[in-house]
This record gives sequence, C-alpha cells and structure tokens, in this order.
Amino acid sequence: MTAVYKAILNLVIAFFFVISLEGIARKITARIQRRIGPPWYQNFIDIFKALSKHPFSNGWIFDFGVLMALGGAIATAAIIPMGSTFWTPFPNTDNFFVIMYLFAVGSLGMAMGMVGSGSPWSAIGVSRALTQMLGYELPYLVVMSSVMYMYKTSSIHLLIEKQATNGWNLYVMPIGAIVAFISLIGMLGKKPFDIAVAPAEIASGPMAELSGKYMGLLQIMHAFSIFVEVGLFVDLFLGGGSLGWFLVKFIVVWVLATLISSVLPRFRIEQMLKFYWGVPLGLAFLNALFVLLGWTF
Amino acid sequence: MKERTMWEQIADSLRSRSLWMLHYCTGCGAMELPPTMTARFDMERFGVAPMATPRQADIMLITGYLNTKTLRRVIYTYEQMADPKYVIGFGSCTINGGIYFDSYSTINRLDYYIPVDVYIAGCMPRPEAILEAFNYLMEKIRKGEADGWKRYKENYEWYKQNQIRSLGEVYVHDEFHE
Amino acid sequence: MFTLLVALLIFSVVNYFISKASWRVGSIINALIGSYLIFQVFTIPKGTEVTIGKFLGETLALQWTNAGFYFSFVSLLVIVAVMFFAIKWLDSQKHPAAFNMFILMVTAGSLGVFMAKDLITLYIFWEIAVLSSMLIIPMGKKESRKAAVVYAVMSAVGTYMFLYGAFMIYSRYGTFSMPEIAKNLANDPSTSFKVAVVLLIAAAGIAKSGIFPLHTWLRIAHGNAPDAFSAVLSGQLVKLGSYVLMISVAVFPSLKIFANLKLYSGVPAPNYFLIALGAASIIIGTLMAIKQDDMKMLIAYSSVANGGYILVGIGTMDPLGFEGGVLHVFNHALAAAVIFMAFASVVYRTHTKKISELGGLIHKMPITYIAYLFAIISLAGIPPMSGFISKWMIYQALVRKGMFITAAIAFFGSIGSFLYVFRPLAGVFLGQLPRKYKDVKEVPPIMWIPMLVLVAISFVMGVWPFPILQPIENMRADFGIAPSFKIADAQNWLVRGFSGSWNPVIVFNLFITGFIVAYILYTLFPKPKKVDLLKPHKEEGAPINIYTSGEFIYTPELYHYNTKFYAGFERMYEKHPSWEKLLYMLAKFFHDVGEWIHGWFFRPSPSAYTFWLAMTILIIFWVRW
Repeated sequence: MTAVYKAILNLVIAFFFVISLEGIARKITARIQRRIGPPWYQNFIDIFKALSKHPFSNGWIFDFGVLMALGGAIATAAIIPMGSTFWTPFPNTDNFFVIMYLFAVGSLGMAMGMVGSGSPWSAIGVSRALTQMLGYELPYLVVMSSVMYMYKTSSIHLLIEKQATNGWNLYVMPIGAIVAFISLIGMLGKKPFDIAVAPAEIASGPMAELSGKYMGLLQIMHAFSIFVEVGLFVDLFLGGGSLGWFLVKFIVVWVLATLISSVLPRFRIEQMLKFYWGVPLGLAFLNALFVLLGWTF
Repeated sequence: MKERTMWEQIADSLRSRSLWMLHYCTGCGAMELPPTMTARFDMERFGVAPMATPRQADIMLITGYLNTKTLRRVIYTYEQMADPKYVIGFGSCTINGGIYFDSYSTINRLDYYIPVDVYIAGCMPRPEAILEAFNYLMEKIRKGEADGWKRYKENYEWYKQNQIRSLGEVYVHDEFHE
Repeated sequence: MFTLLVALLIFSVVNYFISKASWRVGSIINALIGSYLIFQVFTIPKGTEVTIGKFLGETLALQWTNAGFYFSFVSLLVIVAVMFFAIKWLDSQKHPAAFNMFILMVTAGSLGVFMAKDLITLYIFWEIAVLSSMLIIPMGKKESRKAAVVYAVMSAVGTYMFLYGAFMIYSRYGTFSMPEIAKNLANDPSTSFKVAVVLLIAAAGIAKSGIFPLHTWLRIAHGNAPDAFSAVLSGQLVKLGSYVLMISVAVFPSLKIFANLKLYSGVPAPNYFLIALGAASIIIGTLMAIKQDDMKMLIAYSSVANGGYILVGIGTMDPLGFEGGVLHVFNHALAAAVIFMAFASVVYRTHTKKISELGGLIHKMPITYIAYLFAIISLAGIPPMSGFISKWMIYQALVRKGMFITAAIAFFGSIGSFLYVFRPLAGVFLGQLPRKYKDVKEVPPIMWIPMLVLVAISFVMGVWPFPILQPIENMRADFGIAPSFKIADAQNWLVRGFSGSWNPVIVFNLFITGFIVAYILYTLFPKPKKVDLLKPHKEEGAPINIYTSGEFIYTPELYHYNTKFYAGFERMYEKHPSWEKLLYMLAKFFHDVGEWIHGWFFRPSPSAYTFWLAMTILIIFWVRW
C-alpha cells in the first residue's frame, strides 16, 4: 500500500513542482530577453483556463490518443524513484528500459491522437518528433548502457545507491553525463531541438488541432514527461539524494537546460540528426570504451 | 444579464489572466505587434501569448482592413475557435473602414459580421494602446461582460444574414479558384 | 507424427480437388485442420521419436523436442489465423483451390522442419515448405513471377550451402543426426572445419530469415505475394530461418564448440560474425523500411530488421539473449501476421497498397485499425504488449556482454521501428479519407476475428508472459544455457534480467490506472463539440473543418500528409549504396554470359549447327575416344 502512496506523491510533486518550474522557465527566458515575463504560476492559470473551455473533438481516436498519452505519462511518472530507495514506489519495476519504453506509450498515444485529428500539420510535427527521437535516443541509450554495464544493474534505485558509495556519475563519467545532458535537452524539446513544435513553420505541429481541455490534458502530460526525463537524469548522474536534494538538483538541471535553450536558435531536422550522430554519439562510444577499460574516476 | 455561477466566475478570472492570441494580420497593423511582444512592452507579463492555430486561441486580433475575400476566412477562423472566444478589432479600419472606407472590396464595420468585444481606435494604434485594450478586455472578462461569443450564438441568424449580404453566394468551390 | 505429416501432404492434394468444387468448403476444412493441429501439438509427448527411412545407410528420423513444440505452436497460430482469414479473403483471388492446397503443404513442410531430427529430413521438409510457398507467391499475378524466382534462387543459395555443410559433416562423422553431430563437433579438433560447417548450416537460416547478404528477396517476395500469404511468409516461413540459425548456434553448442575462439566477452567469433550480420540487417531493414511507400514492402523490410534482432539475441548465447531472441520469434510472428492481415484487409477493400493513395481509413475500418494499432505497439516493443519483453531481454543481454555497438544498433532499430510503423498508421488509417474510398466498408468478422485473436494473445502474453516463457525456458535447459538466476519468476510475478527485474502486471496496472485517472480528468471538464471529419464526403460543398490557415479545402485528400513522410530524414540517405543493385548486376552478368554462350551454340542458322557438329566430330576423332 505504501507503494501506492509514494506513487501518488510522485504524481503530486510532478504536477505542482514541474508546472511551477515551467512558469519559472518562462520567467527566466523573459529576463534573458530583458522582459518582465509572466508570473511563476502562469502555467497553472494556462492549464486550468484551457481545461475550462468548450473544446472541439476530432473523433474518437483523438480523445483516445489524448487519454493514452496522459495515462502513459502518469504510469511512467509513478515509477520514477525520487532520489533514494525510500522514495522508490516500485523497487522491483524501476528498470531503466521499462521506464524508457513505458514512456513511449505516452508519446505514441499523443502522436496517434494528434494525427487522428486529421491535420497534416500534426502529421508533419509527429514525423519530425519521431526523427528527433531517433537522434537523441541513440547517444543517450549508449551512455545508459555503459552506466548499466559499469554498475551491473539497470534498476534505478540500485544505481542511486551505487552512486552514494562510488560518487556521482557526473564525476565518475563526465563525458557520459555531458552527452546525456545534451540528449536531455532534445528529449525535453527545448530550443535548439524544438523542431517538432515549430509554431512559426508548422502551426505548432502536433498541437495544431488541440482546443480546450485537450490542450490542458496534454500540458499536464508534458509536465509529467519533464518530471520523468529530468528526474531520470538527476537519479542517474547526480546521485539522487534525499527528497529535498532531489528537488534542488532537479531545479538546477532544469534551469541549466532553460538557460541554454533560451539563447539558441532552432535546428533543421537533418542538422539535428547530424549533430546528435556526430559528436555526442562519438563521445558516448568513447565513454563506453572508457567504462570497458575501467578508466573511470 | 444572467448571474454567473461560482465556477464560471473562477473560470472567467482564469481566462482573463491567460489570453492566448491569434493575430489575423490582414493589414499594416501587424507591424505594431512585434514591439508589443518583445522587450519594450512585453505583453507576456499579462499572460498574453501568441498562438499558432485558432483551436488553441482565446482572442482573435484583427489587425487592419478586411476585404470581402479575407472576411470569409476570418469568419471561418472565428468559427473554428473554441468557446469562450473574444475578438479585438484593431485600428480604425475595423471600425469604419479607415482610409479604405470607400473601396469597393473592403467592409467598413467588422461588428456586422462577427461580434467584437474591444475596438482599438487609431491608425495605427501604438503598442501602449494595444496593452490598454488587453487590460480593458481582461477587466470585461472578469466582470463577465465580454460575451461576444454568446451574442454570436444567440444572434447567429442576423450575423449570417449580414455575412451573406456582403459576401454573396460563392459559386466556384475549389481549392485554387474562388 | 510422420503419419500426421504424410496425411497432411496427401490431404493437401485431396483438398485441391475439394476446393475445385467449392473453394470455400476447402478453406473451411483447412481452418478446421489447422485448429486440430494446434490441439495436436500439445498432445504429442516430448521426446517422441519416429524413424521415417534410410538415406546413405543413415536412418532418418523425426523427434519432438521443446524447440520443435515452441516453433510449431507459433507457426500454427499464424497459419491458422491466416486460414480463417482466407475463408472470406480468398474471393479476391484467382486461384483459391491452389492456395488451399499449397498452404496445407507449407504447414506440413514447416512442421516437418521443426520435427526433424537429422539434417536430411530437415532439408526435405524445408524444400517442401519453400517450393509450395514459392508456388503461392506468383498466384494470379504476372508481375509476381519474378518475385517467386528471386525467392527460390535466394532460398536455393542458402539450402545448397546447407546441404554442402550437411554432406561435409557426413563425410567426416558419418551421421546426419543432429544430437550426434553436436557431440562430434564439440570434440572435433579442427577449428576451420567447425567454423565452415556451422556457417554453412547457418547459411540456410540466413537466406530464409532475410539476414543481410541474402535479404533482398524479402522485399520482392513479401511485397508481391498474395496479401494474406505475406502474413504467413513474414510471420511463419521466415521463422524457419530463425529455427535453423538456432540449430547452428544453440543445438550445436557454439560456446563449447568454439571454446577456443572466444572473441569478446565470451561470445565466439563465428557467433560474432552472425551477430554482425544480424546488426547489419537491423540497420538496412530499418533504414529501408522508413522510406518505403508500399506498405507491404515496408513491413517486409521490418521483417529483415526483426530477423536481425532474433539473430542478435540468439547469437549472443547468453541466457537472456537466447530467451529474448526466441521470444522475439513469437512476438514478431504474431505482430507481423496481424499487420499483414490488416494490410490484406485494406487491400481487399481499396485495391491499393500504396500509402500515398490511402488515408483516413479509421473512419471506415475501425476494427482493422485497432488490430493494426496493437500489432505495431507489439512490433515497436512498447509495453504492455509482449513485444517489449523480448526486446528488453535482448537489451539486457547486450548490455551485460558490453556489446555497445551492437546495442546501439539494436536501439537504433527499436527507435527506427517507431518511425516505420507510424508511417502506415498516419498515412493509411489516420488523416483524411480520400473521396474515392467514401463507400469502403469494414471487412467481415471472419477476417477481423483472427487478427483480434492474435492481438489478444500477444497482449495477454505481454501482461502475463510466463506461459510463453516456460517452453522457452525448457528449450534453454535442453541446450544447456544455464542462467545464474531464474529469469521468469512466476511466483513473484517478475521477469528478471542480469540487472534488476520488472513486474509486467504492475506495469500494466499502472498504465490502466493512469488511463482511468486521465479519463476521470477528461470527464470532469466541458463536453467537446464533435468535428465531423467526413463532412466533405457527406455534403457537397462543405469545407473540412480543421485548421487550414483560413483556407477553404473541399477535397480532403489534398490536405493529408502521407507522401515522403520522413522527408527530412530520407533525404539524408537518398544516395545509399544498394546491395540489391549489386546482386542484380551479378545476375545480369550471368544472364549476359548465358546469352553469349547461347548465341554461340544455338545460332538459328543451319550453317552454325553444321560448324559445331563438324568441330565436335573433329575433336572426338582427334582425341580418339
């Protein structure tokens, strides 16, 4: 039963914490652009406003896709360990690959629902998003395999425990951490990699047909996704820590990603692929080689 | 006017703080929007953000004169927006035709075709005026007075009649000619 | 067992004549026989052995093993589903009677392969399966004849290498029986002989399951075969290849045979060679599948990639990798069969297999869509479908062995599979329905029920995988690949890897809970207004009511994105080198040489014949035979 409470806590934190952070990110971007920017709680207002509107539904697959997206994101966010074994809701199931692929359920649901709306912009956006996934996942998964190979476990709470004795992975394998961070920016869909949602080119891509509560639900889903992505990075490279520390590290990673993204323009698709399959993938293999040779700190 | 329930009041105050905007840039008025969005005036601090499609948007900003061909698109776009939705007529062109008042192809008064909640007078209105209009609209939404979308529903026949009168029948249905 | 196979073969001919009278009766009988066979494979006791004859003084025998049981079961699931599917689908075909006959022959042949105890029996039944399937491929279509020839030639390349290997073994050990060979090979001192033999035996599997150098026939054969038969080709016949590959690395215990050839983290060099071929097919299959416009060819290339997965998994000879590879046989068989049947349904109704000509069929064929959707979830390896489990196991094995490059390729194939399975989803089923398909109807129940049954099996095995893992564990035990822990732990509901475990039931429950929470949130807020995407079809002059940048669009198919779906990515490898072209060049070369010789000897003039006759006689006299 405690597992259920912990999972609920996961979701509550994911909701309030991440949505506040999204607002803070907007504030930070505004300050960098010398604007005042919206208040930090702006995203809560946006979400609840969106939920209060009278939306349009483009058929049952549209509804089903949105539900599947949110359901998948909730399921994934419920598994993520928050920095320590104690805050691990399901210690038997927090396997890295399970999380990565369960996460894909949400993405698939979203992609399907959005293309089901009948809009070609959504289809273009989804095709870009999938291509981008091909780009960032490859270096990320190679780094993750080297982490798992080194510690002989892919269970995330065990990896956190190993880091407690061995030192953060950021120090143990700095190259890997950097590559994973670059992949993380792509995963978050932040600025140089916001190819899928390019409002000026493809009418915000997958979201072109979203109105009212569909938009709201997908924003909540997006918040859960951010929680999963950044949470995984914190757990795997910054050594977790107590719940408070976990959240502090979470903020640090998020703010860093925001800072980087707010000063960079957008890549094209093939530029993005060439970027990811160039230096980051090479570094990921280098990192794997170092792990094989035992050249870690 | 009907009394609003508590939920509607809460919803209205939320709506007033988060206005997502679709700017239908028909005329020269679009030029005033970049300074409004960027560092000088920064409309995002009021929660106003530009959106890409009518489905996501709350307010439609019509920035300039409308000829009949454009008006069809504006009406089509307006009907695609989700309720509640608000319209801001921007510049004197939407009020009385502006300097194009005697053109054969432009319409003079936007209010006949879709309900307008706020007009901004001027040719061109400065960004300060735009922000003023946003704040006025927010105030109206909070009070529950911005009911253009309800009026459009209630007086649909009247609006339709006006639209057809100005636009006439469209004979060729084709993507490339009309 | 032997009587069963012979009865099947004889009855297939009988069924031809029954089908000539009424093909529907014939196909119903087929389906019933198939169902009976599924029941039958469970009743044969393990280890049953039947002698069927003698060859070169060696007894040929059938033996019922755990591996045979597993592969037969999977094959029969696919075949029976297709047989039921064909009861209605066959009315779109010109030669239903021949189809009924050959599909029974394919069944008999593949069951024989899985039952064979020695290489020659295996070869015989293999050829029965291959030849009968070869005769189905061109059925009724002229342009498919070339496909059948390519298929037969590629297959022959593999089988002759196999046969050569078998006779090499016979000349050295004097036996064809596989257990004997395994024993002999383990004690053989000559490394080069062992490598040669194992790779020669594996060649048949490589050709059949579409592994890299011999993968080109899959596109042509799968793409041109009758639509429902593509399901058998990809779901079942390709698995014959996986079976032979499994024989060459697992039945002949490669870890023991090549104990002195360990290349990297305990994987022997020949296995590594096979893994490299598998990895190459993953890359080729994925990249080529992404850019296909023909939906059947798309899934054909995905079969290449998935064959690569199976080979990579089995090739590691790691307990997890082996189980993953073998489980992937099951997952891919079901998923590919359902996908091909869904495409067959689409073609049955719309008569085209080009993605760029289709769209929006979800409005007309929702059940086919659901079947396709769940099949691709399984194929892409997303929980809660069973496809995830095998991919998870293969990743575990690759990470454990530290095979990072292979792992990276496997990841690439997995993410790439999201790309290529989404292309038909978006292009064929979602989006805008073209005007000309506005009267298309859902296929009849007899066609969608088999699809849904296969999907349901795959789904249940994804949530509760232990029944299907049990036979695989038995197989693994037979081949002596022992893990240090229990992989399928049904007591604790866990699937274990070398590094941690996961609980499929919890994962499924979490997803369902998430879905319910999402649904509750969904119902709390205002009801949506319905947008009728089919309005332009129903009302003349109604524009489509979605975001169109203010433009009025009356022809929905113009507002549908299905051509060059991944243009940005496809452009990056437009000018790729083509193995297929190289093979065609080779074929052209032999063809030209043949023409040249033909031109010399068979001149259509009497004087040339006289000349050659004179020359021959002269030579004969000259050498004085």
